Amino acid sequence: MAESTTDWQDRYYDIDQVLNTPGPRTDPAFLAGDGVKDFLRNQAKILVIGAGGLGCEILANLALTGFKDIHVIDMDTIDISNLNRQFLFRQKDVGQPKATVAAEFIMKRVPGVKVTPYFGKIQDKDDDYYLQFNLVICGLDSVEARRWMSATLVNLVDPENPESLKPLIDGGTEGFKGQARVILPTITSCYECSLDMLNKPTAFPICTIANTPRLPEHCIEWASVLEWPRVQGDKKMDTDDPEHIGWLYTVAAARAKEFKIEGVTWSLTQGVVKNIIPAIASTNAIIAASCCNEAFKIATSSAAYLNNYFMLIGTEGVYSYTFEHEKRDDCPVCGGEALDLPISSELTVEQLIELLVEKQDVQIKKPSLSTPTSQIYLQAPPQLEEATRPNLAKKVIELVPEGGEVTVTSSSLPFSLSLRISYK
Amino acid sequence: MSTSEAIDITTALAQPDSKTRRYDRQLRLWAASGQSALENSRLLVISGSATSTSVLKNLVLPGIGHFTILDPATVSPRDAGNNFFLEGESSIGKSRAQEAVRLLAELNDGVEGRADTSSLQHILDTDPAYFASYTLALDLLWADETLPTLVVVNSAGFLGEFFIQFHEHTIIDSHSETAPSLRIDKAFPALLDYATSLDFASMDPTDHTHVPYVVILVRALADWKAAHDGAPPHTPADKKLFKERVQAMKIKFDEENFDEAEAQAYRCWTETRVPPDIAALFDDPQLRALSPASPPFFHLLDALRQFTLAPPHTLPLSSTLPDMKANTTSYIHLQKLYKARAEEDKAAFGPSSRCPSTTPSSTRSSRTRTGSRSCAGRNGARSTPTPRRWVRAAAAASSPKATATHLALSALAALATPHPTVAALTAAAQALLPPGVALPDEFADAVGEIARAPTADLPNTAAFLGGLVAQEAIKMITKQYVPIDSYCVVDLVETWTGIV
Repeated sequence: MAESTTDWQDRYYDIDQVLNTPGPRTDPAFLAGDGVKDFLRNQAKILVIGAGGLGCEILANLALTGFKDIHVIDMDTIDISNLNRQFLFRQKDVGQPKATVAAEFIMKRVPGVKVTPYFGKIQDKDDDYYLQFNLVICGLDSVEARRWMSATLVNLVDPENPESLKPLIDGGTEGFKGQARVILPTITSCYECSLDMLNKPTAFPICTIANTPRLPEHCIEWASVLEWPRVQGDKKMDTDDPEHIGWLYTVAAARAKEFKIEGVTWSLTQGVVKNIIPAIASTNAIIAASCCNEAFKIATSSAAYLNNYFMLIGTEGVYSYTFEHEKRDDCPVCGGEALDLPISSELTVEQLIELLVEKQDVQIKKPSLSTPTSQIYLQAPPQLEEATRPNLAKKVIELVPEGGEVTVTSSSLPFSLSLRISYK
Repeated sequence: MSTSEAIDITTALAQPDSKTRRYDRQLRLWAASGQSALENSRLLVISGSATSTSVLKNLVLPGIGHFTILDPATVSPRDAGNNFFLEGESSIGKSRAQEAVRLLAELNDGVEGRADTSSLQHILDTDPAYFASYTLALDLLWADETLPTLVVVNSAGFLGEFFIQFHEHTIIDSHSETAPSLRIDKAFPALLDYATSLDFASMDPTDHTHVPYVVILVRALADWKAAHDGAPPHTPADKKLFKERVQAMKIKFDEENFDEAEAQAYRCWTETRVPPDIAALFDDPQLRALSPASPPFFHLLDALRQFTLAPPHTLPLSSTLPDMKANTTSYIHLQKLYKARAEEDKAAFGPSSRCPSTTPSSTRSSRTRTGSRSCAGRNGARSTPTPRRWVRAAAAASSPKATATHLALSALAALATPHPTVAALTAAAQALLPPGVALPDEFADAVGEIARAPTADLPNTAAFLGGLVAQEAIKMITKQYVPIDSYCVVDLVETWTGIV
């Protein structure tokens, strides 16, 4: 094994203890010694999605454990509210791209590690790009991005080519709670399989917001959902712009005063419109460490890896739960079977669309629907949307026979969902 | 001044300052009170190892007041390889404390860091008062009864554990995930008067659809009790009948407020009482021996106990009302009733709170308010004194995996040799158990990992423990969350945590 010039004597004294000797639970195929070190330090190529709270921690851990070819994607720039946990950033970096600043910091701090940043979206990259990595770690705060990444890696799997299977390690945190999981695309449960484990987002009915506000949140929703488009027209709301938040706050506070509702504050306004989730360094450290530890074990085979889900709750003592999340046969991404959907024979196409948006294990925004022989409703392009719009008012039973299949697609997701419709 | 100018000024005043913006994501958890506790805390960390700097990173970022790293060592080549708060080869040979403090302090201008290159032994020999100024101390493998709160961390390879030694942890401002009682079963007079004064029959149909379920239930229960000698529904048949009566109050089939009332009907026959965990605190010996010198928590607890002695024998009412089907007027009216009663309860509770006279009055009133709001400390956890052998023997039976790991790590610490054999570790572990008690079967897996990497401070293990320990430190300092009360064991092969 060629020692890199930056690898001073004893640099990896600690890590080499687990790479030189197998443990009682290590796979017998583990090749202790130079071979595994060479793979880790000179060959492995790893992709990190997100350079935020988890991403900063992940990059630091990967660099210290000996990964030397790391790529990172993030579309965000640094905000002052990141500095309580995203420790690769300083006050002077506010406004700069996270991926670039994080990559430079790691390369300066950990000699010999190459971090290649990409300031942009994961959707900008094609299959060939993702195929170059051995492993992918996600440290994201967006459900949509996770679904996209998980589905993309499942689609990448070519049964003829074992190299095309890229293990995905996913972490997430909220306050003192978090989870980490290992996904072996097509083999274990994927992100889509576990969609029903997500907490349902709080949604306020429009009639409450418009007519009977009771909570400060109702006033804030009124300002952002109804008043902003009415007063500001086509101007796009930017929730990172303090002037926009200021406007929303003022409008919400005035409405609250009118209805004698207490509690509209700047902080609450920001929290509601940005859907802010509390985040602290310590929880990110735990979850990122767990993700990187799985990456290290998978890349080196030095120990068994997580099978396949680790959940942590730190608010009362240290409570955690490790379990195997099961693959769903009717998962639209990795299951292959159609999802049985019994519906009322009175249900209209428009109501079916609402159902698909709401349903916990589906959650598809702006779905387009078709049968094997015809189009039911398409969201785009505009001509087709217009042509299929009359179907919205029709009953599903007029367009789909009992036991018929409906294919659901959405521009935000790289997969289609097959529904088998039956009538109650 | 024009109206728009007035708005601009109010908006500008409402916009948070840069410190609040920096800490926004954590203030949403522990608020200004928790933040101020953090900012007033002082931490002592013994050694500048990878695990120590991992813990410190997670506490410097949220803004503790001060930290000291006590470490006489210079940076070795292996330190430079596995510690993110050293600058690679260029740090080798320099003071480990100074290098780590320099790179950690860079994370937050509001935090003061100090490097002390003395040895712990020297301090113990010459300056026993050294520790008194610290809120919390963190160490790898060293425990001393004289310190107020001490976290001890121990790890090898993929395995690790830590424990917190503390005398008492009291929580006033708790974050309970169970919603406070609405006291529907023990409606306070203003609520009862309001509910019974409503004329459902002649009410405007739109108003009828917007009566909050709380009011519907209080009324339905009052009517029920009047017909049943003052008793609430008791048998399953009673409860079913009660729910049917609630449904029968509807004037239209789609009145969702009545559906909510039916779904919440259990509140009518579930008695609001003092929760058992708080009732248990009332028996605390510290309450019987209450003196002006007792900690504020116990004065608060005593005031709370006295409050609960009087009818309706509940905790003070919470002023927070959950959202429910209602129009603005009826909801706000109900909210006002709850707030007024909560204020009355607080007044009844307040004067009897004999807080120490040395406490400034402003602090006193804010403390009382906090306590009253959150129903006072839910937790009186105490670290247990140590008949450790027997504790371990019992744990070996109930949680063998975690105990096996704990025994293997304890054996490693007891041996204190760089390359212990499995046989030596096994013998040392056996000695930690009472005679005749066998090691758990899972011990082989744990001890094998230890023998494989006895001195390995792996970056991922250090970061994992660093996160857990920092969470615990935040709980100890902010006094808003419940810390662990025994050993927390970590296995990063199968990725689980356990408590022994």
